[in-house]
Amino acid sequence: MRLSALLSAARPRLPPGYRHGMWPPDSMAARLRNPPGQRRRKVFVEPIAKDDWKVFKGDTVQVLAGKDAGKQGLVTQVVQARNWVVVEGLNTHYRYVNRAAKYSGTYIASEAPLLLSHICLVDPEDRKPTEVEWRYTEEGERVRVSLRSGRILPVPPQPRQDGIVPEQWTGEWDGRGGWGDVAGDTGTHRCPLTRTDGPKDTSEEDVLAKTYRPSLKTFEEEIMDAMGIVETRRAKKSYWY
Amino acid sequence: MGLLTQLVRGLVRGADRVSPFTSKRGPRSHNKGRGAKKLGVLTRNKKFLLVKEMVPEFVVPDLTGFKLRPYVSYRASEGSEPPMTAKQLFDELVAPRIEKDVKDGTFDPNNLEKYGFEPTQEGKLFQLFPKNYVR
Repeated sequence: MRLSALLSAARPRLPPGYRHGMWPPDSMAARLRNPPGQRRRKVFVEPIAKDDWKVFKGDTVQVLAGKDAGKQGLVTQVVQARNWVVVEGLNTHYRYVNRAAKYSGTYIASEAPLLLSHICLVDPEDRKPTEVEWRYTEEGERVRVSLRSGRILPVPPQPRQDGIVPEQWTGEWDGRGGWGDVAGDTGTHRCPLTRTDGPKDTSEEDVLAKTYRPSLKTFEEEIMDAMGIVETRRAKKSYWY
Repeated sequence: MGLLTQLVRGLVRGADRVSPFTSKRGPRSHNKGRGAKKLGVLTRNKKFLLVKEMVPEFVVPDLTGFKLRPYVSYRASEGSEPPMTAKQLFDELVAPRIEKDVKDGTFDPNNLEKYGFEPTQEGKLFQLFPKNYVR
């Protein structure tokens, strides 16, 4: 849990000609396809400022071009570096995974990324494609507004950078260790401690319990009183400039 | 980066001049500290006299049954208590006592020390301004 946070915080700088794929830059697949010192032909993308980005994970979008034109779907992945959006179940091609020596593999449908220009955000009530703009509300909040109807498109709750889902976080660690011990451990890191509270974690009730009693003594004076320490010596007066 | 640049890169030789020369580098005779403060006085006979007051001592109360731990669970939501201000502290602790004394008629504006007023910080072990303790 803490280790994955440290790893994500210490993100190394990517080389200038790095070609982004659909995988995160620190995954095995990315490292295989982008070894250090590799130089590939540059992929030209339409430059879009980070603030102007409108499509997020969990949004409903309509595909405008391609095999599944006209269909709507949920966005599962966004790659801003290449203006890519992966929509669940749309623009799929088929391939075999988990190939073994004798077994030809499972035939699955895998989604190909779509460019932003082939995608359109969908009005939540109408469920029709609209153009969207970033605007500010009366309170000063920055929201996406549909240009056709004026409705606000709320940004769906984004998953945490470290991949932890607080709702799936279980309670007290029962002391069992081992890899692969926790059932249903998919998605996040391999360590089973990433889904339970460790021995150094304060539980939820203890954190939110209000035990503060205001007093005029400083913290140090209270501890001295509690432990019965008596200090009559005083420091000599000193000056600094 | 072409073949020529790579060759030139390999030809650059010499010691690392950029990183700091710490106590981890150099020969065995290179004896260097990392900036720890001296905890005493060196006398004229080159004997070091340790001053016990300068040695830091951790005063830790008994923590048996203490529920709070170093880290916080991910399930915990943000707390709702606003940070404590001086005004709030006064309103909670000092104001009721002053009101009670005013009602009883025993309020003396010259004797505010009994409500916790400190006219000067001299003579205190933990002075608030200028702050003379480390927290």
